[in-house]
Amino acid sequence: MSAISPTDYEAAPAEPDRNQRLADLLLEVARSIDPNAAMVLPKRLDDDPRLQAVRTVLLREQLELLTRLRQTIDDPEQLAATISAVLPHALSLSGARDERLSQVLAPTFERATQVSVRKDPGTLVNILYPVMGPAIRKALAERLDDTLQGLNQSLRYAFSWRGLKWRIEAWRSGSTFADVVLKHTVVFRVEHAFLIHRKAGLLLEHVAAEDATAQDPQLVSGMLSAIQDFVRDSFDEGGSRASQGIDSLRLGDLLLWCEAGPQAFLALVIRGTPPESLRATMRDTLSTLHRELHSALEDYDGDSTPLGDLAARLNLCLKQQVQPPERKLSVWLWALPLVLIIAGAYWLGLRYFDRQRIATYVESLRVSPGIVVTGVERSSGTWHISGLRDPLAVNTADLQRRANVDPSDLVERWEPYVALNPTIVLKRLRASLPPLPSVTMSLDGNTIKAQGGAPPDWIDKARALTKALPIGAPKVDLSGLTDVEDPEYVQLRGAIEGIRVYFDSGAPNPAAGQDGKLDQVAKDSLAIISVARRLGFSVRLSIIGHTDSTGKETTNLGLSIARSEVVRSLLRKRGIAPELLSVRGTGTLEPLAEGAAPDDLSLNRCVTLTVTTSE
Amino acid sequence: MLQKKICLLGAFGVGKTSLTQRFVSSIFSDKYLTTVGVKIDKKAVDVGATPVSLVIWDIAGEDEVSAVRTSYLRGAAGYLLIVDVTRAQTLEVARSIQQRVATEIGDIPFLCLLNKIDVENWDIAEARFEELQQAGWTVERTSAKTGAGVEEAFTELARRIVG
Repeated sequence: MSAISPTDYEAAPAEPDRNQRLADLLLEVARSIDPNAAMVLPKRLDDDPRLQAVRTVLLREQLELLTRLRQTIDDPEQLAATISAVLPHALSLSGARDERLSQVLAPTFERATQVSVRKDPGTLVNILYPVMGPAIRKALAERLDDTLQGLNQSLRYAFSWRGLKWRIEAWRSGSTFADVVLKHTVVFRVEHAFLIHRKAGLLLEHVAAEDATAQDPQLVSGMLSAIQDFVRDSFDEGGSRASQGIDSLRLGDLLLWCEAGPQAFLALVIRGTPPESLRATMRDTLSTLHRELHSALEDYDGDSTPLGDLAARLNLCLKQQVQPPERKLSVWLWALPLVLIIAGAYWLGLRYFDRQRIATYVESLRVSPGIVVTGVERSSGTWHISGLRDPLAVNTADLQRRANVDPSDLVERWEPYVALNPTIVLKRLRASLPPLPSVTMSLDGNTIKAQGGAPPDWIDKARALTKALPIGAPKVDLSGLTDVEDPEYVQLRGAIEGIRVYFDSGAPNPAAGQDGKLDQVAKDSLAIISVARRLGFSVRLSIIGHTDSTGKETTNLGLSIARSEVVRSLLRKRGIAPELLSVRGTGTLEPLAEGAAPDDLSLNRCVTLTVTTSE
Repeated sequence: MLQKKICLLGAFGVGKTSLTQRFVSSIFSDKYLTTVGVKIDKKAVDVGATPVSLVIWDIAGEDEVSAVRTSYLRGAAGYLLIVDVTRAQTLEVARSIQQRVATEIGDIPFLCLLNKIDVENWDIAEARFEELQQAGWTVERTSAKTGAGVEEAFTELARRIVG
């Protein structure tokens, strides 16, 4: 026989035949007590009214409980009170378990919100105002800061050449000028990013830029958190912005920016002046962290492991913008102008010195006697100098050499003229007269003076030249000259002119015994030529043929010429230059003796010589 | 590494800062105590095989309990209540502080450190300490001067926090 457990009963469903089952149970109980009792018990008890009484006795407490529960369920007030007691906890449990509750409630809340807004928008405004007010003010302040920053930078670069370049870039990219200016000028570097748990003030993660130095991040974050609390406690006046703590803090070049979320706040240590867009990055990072790690942040107990790799997220905040390095000038960009400048300077130097040399040269021309410079000009890299030049003036090549002028740089055009400059006139006299060592010619003021001894013919020539000078020429003073005959010359001239070379009657050749005279004539002629040369002039010998008065006159004339030619030939044979010898026949016209005696006739059959000076 | 925020609390002059000066890592000067009212230090301890970094908020001592900034207590995992055994009044301040902390942030592990035990003229009777222990307080004796009990106190608090 099996025992009856309470669970059996509790497990029994409330079916329509429950009276039958109860009756069966009672019979079973009766049989277990007294097996004979079953014999006297009726077979069917299901209709027995006592069963209801038994049930009431056995299930009185359960029935009362059921009655209360039914009343609770049936009465809306009681049901609401019961549910309200457990609803917060139930919602909390459901929310912690999964998202189903949120998904189920979301449409309802959305509809409720829509209905509420349609009914009275002011309600939603009143709800959102404490949240949206500070947020809007903060956004406006940041936007204003951003605008002022851009305006400031825009004004700074508005009128520079760089500004012009950026205006072109803005026009090409479709951006505003202020944005382009900010892009190029804002320089900053986020050196540290601290993610700090708001409640505990403990460091959740810290990342730093390369080479950035800092103290112990845990202690720094703790102190940051303490200072935030200090500011909040000190200045918070009922939900103002101070409730968010420190927003930004500047210390010299370092800037601390804080952005607070519900569970954690993000602090960036920035060097330089960051753009306001960095704020947006901070907010995005915090928002993402709170959305994805809401539960882990809320349950944070000092162990960062459940938060995962926060460093990777914070690294997004380690932004920097560096000033683009000044573009290094290409070597050509500075070398080329330098070379051009040097070349230009060299060229200018050359031009300067060239001009100086030409000026010096032209000046030397101007002061040179016998030269008149009428034009100096430079054309196609060549100097053109023109003017008048006396042939006896100084050679311009000498002046060019002295002035260090390259003749190839010059084109000179000189018209010849006769200068009346005393120096040139003196030069001309010297060039025209045979030089005599015994005569000196010099300038005395504007007068040319000749002094010393000179042969008469030299003096005659000098006088002739002086007379031929044009009007305006300097005065030539020849009063200092003395007429001087050289004794040797005179002696030789006398010896030559005293010789008679005789001929037989009708014969063109010298008579016998005349060779010694011819030798003597030749010797004396050579000597006088030498003396004359020494004295500064030359001599000529005139050979004059004569005949006696017999015979025909024409025959005599021819005979006299033949006799002089023969003598010339003989003198040539004796070394006298032929150009110094001239012949002349006189026939009977210049007789040496007038008589007709045989001695007179014999004397006239001869050749005589005379010495003459010549050019 | 596991981090825990703990606070050092007590009346003015009980030796809180002296306890930290010799036994913890610090980068901030004491002037923060008189300006911001708190100084952050750090101490690494091992609880079994678990290394724990205790971030210590050394809160400026005030004789007026109400002057303690409760915002500095927020998020603390435990605290050390420092009492100067040569000044009985500091014990009363400690009791008040403990009550206030319990009210503000709940029951969190704490130790009561009887500091300056190297000094002979105690102003607090032993019976008072027994009363505290009977009230559930854990009382440790320390000397910032000799270092007695300091390391043990930090380790014990960490152990109680980590559990």
